[in-house]
Amino acid sequence: MENSKALSAGACPADPIISHSSFVSCPFFNFRTYDRNVEFPIVKDSVAAAAKHAIKQYGSGDEVIYALNDISVDFASGQFTAIMGPSGSGKSTLMHCIAGLDQLTSGSVLIDGLDLSTLTDKELTLMRRERVGFIFQAFNLVPTLSAEENILLPLLLGNKTGDSEWIKKVIDTVGLSNRLTHRPSELSGGQQQRVAVARALATQPRIIFADEPTGNVDSTTGTEILTFMRRAVDELGQTIVMVTHDPLSAAFADRIIFLADGKIVDEMLEPSAAKVLDRMKSLGN
Amino acid sequence: MFHVALKGVLARKARLFLTSIAVVLGTAFLSGTYIFSDTLTTTFDQLFADIYKNTDGYVRSSKVIDAGFGQEERQFIPISTIDLVRNIPGVSGAAGNIQAFARIIGKDGKPVGESGIGPPTFGSSISDYKGELWVISRGVLPAKPDELAIDDVTAKKEKFNIGDTVKVVAAGGSRAFKLVGIARYGDVRAPGGATFALFDIKTASEFLTKSGYVDAVLLQGDGTLSDDALADKITASLPNDLNIETLTGAQITQETQNDVGEGLSFFSTLLSVFSFIALGVGCFVIYNVFSITAAQRQRENALFRAIGASKRQITQAMLIEAIAVGIVGSITGLFAGVLLAQGLSALLRVTGIELPPGKLVFTQQTISTVLIVGMVVTVISAILPALRAGKVPPLAAMRSTALDTAGSIGRRVGVALAFATAGLGVLLAVIQGADNVLLGIAILLVFIAVLIAGPAVARPISLFIGRPAARLRGITGTMARQNAARNPKRTSRTAAPVLIGVALVMAVTVLASTIRAEITDIFGKQFTGDFAINADDRFFGGFSPSLADDINALPEVQRASGLGVSLANVELGGENESKFVTVIDPKTIDGIFDIGLINKSPQVLTKNGIFVSEKTALNNSLVEGSTVIVSLSDGSKYDLIVQGIYVRDQLAGGFTVSRELFVGTAVSRFDAAIFVLKKDGAKDSSIRESLESIIKKYGTGKLLSKSEYIERQASQVNQLLGLIYGLLFLSVIIAIVGIIITLLLSVHERQREIGLMRAVGMTKSQVRTTVRYESVITSLLGAVTGILLGLGLGWVVIFSLRDQGIKRFTVPTSGTLVILILSFIVGVIAAAYPARKATQVDLLDALAMT
Ligand SMILES: Nc1ncnc2c1ncn2[C@@H]1O[C@H](COP(=O)(O)OP(=O)(O)OP(=O)(O)O)[C@@H](O)[C@H]1O
Ligand SMILES: [Mg+2]
Repeated sequence: MENSKALSAGACPADPIISHSSFVSCPFFNFRTYDRNVEFPIVKDSVAAAAKHAIKQYGSGDEVIYALNDISVDFASGQFTAIMGPSGSGKSTLMHCIAGLDQLTSGSVLIDGLDLSTLTDKELTLMRRERVGFIFQAFNLVPTLSAEENILLPLLLGNKTGDSEWIKKVIDTVGLSNRLTHRPSELSGGQQQRVAVARALATQPRIIFADEPTGNVDSTTGTEILTFMRRAVDELGQTIVMVTHDPLSAAFADRIIFLADGKIVDEMLEPSAAKVLDRMKSLGN
Repeated sequence: MFHVALKGVLARKARLFLTSIAVVLGTAFLSGTYIFSDTLTTTFDQLFADIYKNTDGYVRSSKVIDAGFGQEERQFIPISTIDLVRNIPGVSGAAGNIQAFARIIGKDGKPVGESGIGPPTFGSSISDYKGELWVISRGVLPAKPDELAIDDVTAKKEKFNIGDTVKVVAAGGSRAFKLVGIARYGDVRAPGGATFALFDIKTASEFLTKSGYVDAVLLQGDGTLSDDALADKITASLPNDLNIETLTGAQITQETQNDVGEGLSFFSTLLSVFSFIALGVGCFVIYNVFSITAAQRQRENALFRAIGASKRQITQAMLIEAIAVGIVGSITGLFAGVLLAQGLSALLRVTGIELPPGKLVFTQQTISTVLIVGMVVTVISAILPALRAGKVPPLAAMRSTALDTAGSIGRRVGVALAFATAGLGVLLAVIQGADNVLLGIAILLVFIAVLIAGPAVARPISLFIGRPAARLRGITGTMARQNAARNPKRTSRTAAPVLIGVALVMAVTVLASTIRAEITDIFGKQFTGDFAINADDRFFGGFSPSLADDINALPEVQRASGLGVSLANVELGGENESKFVTVIDPKTIDGIFDIGLINKSPQVLTKNGIFVSEKTALNNSLVEGSTVIVSLSDGSKYDLIVQGIYVRDQLAGGFTVSRELFVGTAVSRFDAAIFVLKKDGAKDSSIRESLESIIKKYGTGKLLSKSEYIERQASQVNQLLGLIYGLLFLSVIIAIVGIIITLLLSVHERQREIGLMRAVGMTKSQVRTTVRYESVITSLLGAVTGILLGLGLGWVVIFSLRDQGIKRFTVPTSGTLVILILSFIVGVIAAAYPARKATQVDLLDALAMT
């Protein structure tokens, strides 16, 4: 956590006080500025993202389903959080809402203290591009682009070069230096997921969301990928939120949140696979 | 399986709709063309049937020179024939008929109607004859030499009332008449937007044509004889030396209908040629859509195969879908054609050609042709994709994406090269002297080669064309470029309609600019005067010879010379042929208009002489002093002596005679243009003024400077060009729709990708840019290859015209540039809707797809 603060503070020495108006007045559309921190003021807050009384309902009347039923949760900077729970418990929904891909029915989501509900579609998009990283279970990459272009995609979309030293470090860390010109179809499933991890890290986002990132790869590759994510947290100070069904995967996290029926039913710090299994049993899963 | 297929069709209404659109467009143009042509023909047939409704017989001169294509020169008959006919037993009434040029001058002093463009302006005769076509609705019949009636429409428009003085310009000069009657033409106020000045037959004869003569005599029988018997009797009763023939009412109706029908059928053939081109282009779109949807359904088809469907059943299911699309598309197209036909009529109205009111004609034949053609085209376009779909291995159900590849590139290029070589071989043979007809085959072979090679070259060319987009637009441009190149078959099939359209446009443009340059050159070399007066009235002969004489009398004018064309029968080697002969004034033409006489001055041409072109001389072994037998349209025959041979035959044609030849004959002769050489030191402005005032007196003609005249001659090509562009526009529309459909299908197919990119931070406007540039690259791919092919095609056509004296090849640089820019715009327009669809892709849905 100290690590992460140092990183943000170092990159942006003159952090303004965040407010919505200051957010808007910042040179939002200035694509030529290569210092990402100028565009999104960083809050010296230990909370990277948070949900407050988040409710997401589907349907209406008698058939109403609460995918999220009054969830409040904070994701601390530099922390690796795993979300677990039975199928249909609302894990993906929670992630999508916090990441700005979906809207809550009521309640609020904050990223870096910014209330997402106050942003326009374009602002949300730019927010995702610059502050959020994604790793999906499958189909993470654009098939027409090379591995390198895929890694740089969010930066390229913003017409930015990014921090080249940082990017080199990321690419080296995930071990893709000699695969950069390949197309996704020429990479193995595990390699594709590593490209996705690299892409998520390339912009130095405030927070990375991963929805079952190892769901489609074998356990060895899965472990590899999880190790990378762990290192990103430990060595690079990343903040990661990961949805998983697998206790072994969850054990890589600093903290586990258990969901059931759209509610947070339990929480565990410094988990181990055994502890997680025990807890899942006791939760009746 | 039928049941399953039908369910499949209904379940995917959107796809059915998209595929149908291509069929609808193709058949709509066909249907519209048919309906429009049928309506036009029926309307005119009805019009002439009405005109001759009360006519039992039609007497006219039998002396005529017919040059085909409705070009004929028929002699007048003496006005006394009317009385002769009237007195024949069995005839109850007869009247002379005259229809000639006359322009009414409005109250503001300006001539009514536009000369050159717009409907014609007529002068005609009116009488109390019972079968008279005109009915006086107000006032009385004109009976005296200074009286006239005019049509109701012109009277209203120009606010003329009974008693007003109306000035009219006609062959007999400019004259003032007293308006005594307003006339209506049967049920219509005036036919086709034309203006009419009506006189009694004597005045009409003297003022409008040739004093003492009429065009024909219309008559009614008293009912005692059949029309046929009456006609025979009239011909027999009239003196032989009158040289007349008598037609029954039915015959003259039929003849006029046929004449007009011939003109119209040329027009409708032209229309249907282009709607078939449009349909051919539509085939590509249909084929492409079926191919794409088949590829997108690969998994589904494989699943069917896995659970036990046979290859045949899969193919059949696809064909059943095609038939459904064909039926829906053709029927919709049939009715869309009605709208199109109405649009075409409206277009005619805008250009001033008002059709007589009538219902659209929807024939059985239109219905069956359109439906059959629509069905056949759809099913043929679907056969290949359907066969391919049948070949899907059941295992493909497990594979994920349906990326198409160009297949074996080597084989494709090989086959294409074979076709290209064959085409070029034929071309070479023609250059060596083989028949020009083979050029068509050569063109076809090369086209096929290009279309086969398309998928193999689409990727590299798209990547090349997309390079600037990637440079300028960064990642969105790169993505567009990659998207255009990712399915080379699809891209090349989408670009094919653009290619065909652009190639045709390009070839026509090349041809037009070459002909323009040629015309400019010819006129520039031959016309050496300062001014020209152009007779731009399409419907009548031109200027009376006295106009040139009047101009020659002007003090500022050194010399003016009229140039005309007349039809004559020329006897060569024992064969009699109708030919156009150029008529010049040998005394004045020198130094104004040069036909390239070899070692001679044109002044040597006498009344009994003739100049022939070098080509004519060679082909018929004519030398100076040879005799050529020429008969004029009044039947008079002359032995003309060759007095000179000329080389510049592009305008003068094969034969040139003196205007003197016509003096004393019954042939009325007109000058098509008058060329003027000013006196040294004469001021342009003053000479213009004098010339304008003379032209005004004659009521027709346009004064042009040398450069204006040359430009006007050259720009006649532009009118034709405009028409062809307009007709090719149909194909362009289909090409655009083809791009739209392909993009929609591609966007649909790439939803997941779009969702992913939106998730990692692509804005909606970036999504739009990506789609837009993909579209532009595809469109430009078609345009660039089309331009190259069109240049080749143009060259081939021009080469085949080498005998017609076209020996240059002009590449229209600005035209090419315009085509490129337009293709860019086409790409942008076509992308608009698919781009919007792409931004509407639901993020979560897209990400939830596996
Ligand atoms: N678009 C939708 N319409 C209606 N209900 C929905 C919709 N999306 C999700 N739900 C419901 O919301 C609830 C939560 O779904 P969510 O996808 O968040 O579950 P999850 O915990 O991610 O499950 P899994 O482990 O299977 O991925 C489920 O009951 C689901 O049926
Ligand atoms: Mg889920």
